[in-house]
Amino acid sequence: MNTLVAFLTMVIFPGGLFLLFVGMMYEWLDRKLVARFQNRIGPRWFQPIADNVKLLAKEEVLPEGVHPQLFYVLPVIALSGALTAALYVPMFGFEPATSFNGDLIATIYLLSLLTLSMGLAGANTLDRYSLVGATRTLTQLFSYEAPFLLALLGPALIAESWQIGEINDYARDHWFILTQPIGFVVALIGLMGKLELPPFDAPEAETEIVAGAMTEYSGRGLALFHLGKGVELVIGLSLVAAFYLGGLANPIDFVVKTVLLLGFLASVQALMTRLRIDQTVGLWWRYGALLVLTQYLVVIIVEGTIA
Amino acid sequence: MATHNPTQKAPERETFKIPIGPQHPALKEPGHFEFAVDGETVTDATVRLGYVHRGIEKGVESRTWIQGQYLVERVCGICSHVHATTYCLAVEKLAGVEAPPRAQAIRSLVAELERIHSHMLWLGVAAHEAGFDMLFMYSWRDRETVMNLLEGITGNRVNYSANILGGVKCDITPEQDAAIRAGVDYLEERTRHYLDVVQNDTMFMRRTKNVGTMTREQAEQMGVVGPTARASGVPRDIRVDAPYAAYKDFPVNVITETAGDLHARFVVRVNELFETFRLIRAILDHLPEGDLQTRVKRKIPAGETIMRIEAPRGELFYYVKSAGGETPDRVKIRTPTLPNMASVLELAVGHQLADMPMILTGIDPCFSCNDRMITVRDTHSNQRDVWTWDQLRKYGMNAAQ
Amino acid sequence: MKLGGMWRDAIKALVQGPSTQKYPFERLKTPERFRSKLTWDLTNCTGCGLCMKDCPANAIEVVTLDRKAKRFVFRYRVDHCTFCGQCVESCNKNCLELPEDDWELATTNRQDFEVYYGNEADVQIVLDGEAETGA
Repeated sequence: MNTLVAFLTMVIFPGGLFLLFVGMMYEWLDRKLVARFQNRIGPRWFQPIADNVKLLAKEEVLPEGVHPQLFYVLPVIALSGALTAALYVPMFGFEPATSFNGDLIATIYLLSLLTLSMGLAGANTLDRYSLVGATRTLTQLFSYEAPFLLALLGPALIAESWQIGEINDYARDHWFILTQPIGFVVALIGLMGKLELPPFDAPEAETEIVAGAMTEYSGRGLALFHLGKGVELVIGLSLVAAFYLGGLANPIDFVVKTVLLLGFLASVQALMTRLRIDQTVGLWWRYGALLVLTQYLVVIIVEGTIA
Repeated sequence: MATHNPTQKAPERETFKIPIGPQHPALKEPGHFEFAVDGETVTDATVRLGYVHRGIEKGVESRTWIQGQYLVERVCGICSHVHATTYCLAVEKLAGVEAPPRAQAIRSLVAELERIHSHMLWLGVAAHEAGFDMLFMYSWRDRETVMNLLEGITGNRVNYSANILGGVKCDITPEQDAAIRAGVDYLEERTRHYLDVVQNDTMFMRRTKNVGTMTREQAEQMGVVGPTARASGVPRDIRVDAPYAAYKDFPVNVITETAGDLHARFVVRVNELFETFRLIRAILDHLPEGDLQTRVKRKIPAGETIMRIEAPRGELFYYVKSAGGETPDRVKIRTPTLPNMASVLELAVGHQLADMPMILTGIDPCFSCNDRMITVRDTHSNQRDVWTWDQLRKYGMNAAQ
Repeated sequence: MKLGGMWRDAIKALVQGPSTQKYPFERLKTPERFRSKLTWDLTNCTGCGLCMKDCPANAIEVVTLDRKAKRFVFRYRVDHCTFCGQCVESCNKNCLELPEDDWELATTNRQDFEVYYGNEADVQIVLDGEAETGA
């Protein structure tokens, strides 16, 4: 029986198929919202599904000069990393499927696996756009990762736990967005950097380097990377909502809060001009990291005086 | 002390070259650029053009004077009217006739409407290159207004065919007068908004300010034309320097900026739109009465002439030669992209790779306009050769067999 | 200096809905001067052939069966036509017209692009003649 439950957890909910589907729906919502902001109609609801089904059915071209095993395995690693991360997150407002002390750190690094895989995938090929894209992907990874992690650790400090489930429970009666507004903004913008959404899409800026690290990918590999990104979008949104927007208690809570956050992300995407990679790095280290650290200082001092 | 030996070159470092084109999302038309980069910084740039050479000049030679007009109108998909106008003015000059004042005014009117359409299109494309799709979508949406106006006046949205040798085909009726005024009012309001965005949006400014700066000296040295030159403070505008069509009666104020960077090019073009709105209203207010066409004989007397007009992108140059028959003897076209192209290569060095599409778009390039010449290069010996027409014909026939 | 200078447009667009025209379902009225498929009227035609001579795309062919009896067949290739309107200007007798409403010309059949104007009997003669020569 236990094996069956574990199997279902892995394949259907919250990992696996369900998450893939939700990921695609969120991707659609994001595209639709951006389209509406730009006065366009935008895609129909099944567009991401159609895209991915088509890509999965298509031939995967192995470019010359790549390491074949690495080429095939990287998309799998990226997607599985993102799916594994979902196990520790209160997906859809339910208790996390599994948890251990310190799973927050594990989750964040599982999420980074996607970016790392993309960087490696780009560096694996001989294509020059891919190489530049890979360099940019990894540069961006090193710039947003620290502020993003710091921003998520803020609530953890107050909740005195490094376990996502516990922080979620604690956050239900403590809206951290009110006490740590800077952390909230940095976490959300960090998520955009992680997902390479505009304006942080320099690693895949189509007018400069075509599709960046993904240029040589086609068919199955590309579909898996796309799916991984969709999954990561959902997980990232639920993490931020759980930490800063009063926790996730039930499915309705989850949908309302994450869709609100997605709406905010879409508007930032529409209204901002793409940053150059040097500007992105400067933004994160010069402002993001410093602001979060300042907030830490304030939190610790306030905490100290109260206690 | 190290002695300087000019024959001994420094050991060549292997450079990492990023090719852009002939197929690339940043280019809407084929052209090939190679940027040597050091990390993200561009150290060298080369360009290769000629992918869309269509043999239009030769094509005109084998058509009648009348048919030629419609062929040159297809040199450029965006500024089609200016090509037809230049051709017609040149041929009329050769034939010794002049189109009636009302026809000239309508030519200018359509040219100015086309300038709106071209500048708004450019604004959108340039914003897209910067990753600002919001501005791209909105400026293209509003561009529909002027496209609809042109469609109403001339009967087509792109290749208007408003001209005919000796005049124009279309008149401006009172209803159209009102429609144009209403459309221009709407566009003026929107343009004010875009000017505000271009001048004040922090994120956008970060991508345009101090990027691709061209000083006035550089601009004069490289002989750039049109808005690109005006953004560097060179007051160069054919509508003022050598007025044609109806611009003698409707004087133009030259819009210049001094900064010479991408931002200045944005501001110059958007400000030019206001000047264009003013001109359109002025032409409508004082539209001369009279005929629309004068007769031009089918045979044009022998002679040669040049004609220059200010296309949305800069100076457009036509050389037309007649041998006295029903067909032109030679038509040579120089579009504004050609003199501007050199500036891209000059400005690229030292900038980030991410700025390249923006710098390229800054001159508003039009490759298919540009490609009117091919160099044949032997890839084995890397020798350039000039081929005669007969050689080329023979080569083409052999290749076809 | 402003951040996100186009936010007003975004909100307005959300409220107003997209500005895209849903073409096959709703059609804009074409302006009066719009140029679509050429029509030819035999009544005044003298068979001078100026339209054929001036056509930049070789889309027009006037086949003269009998000049005195005014038996002309007007062969028009829609797929060649660039809709420039030069033929209408060239015709001194106003036989040609580019109406504004017949512009949905896409078809999967090549034959649809070849249009013959004239008396039915004359058109048949031209068609038969072509069938014979195999042109």
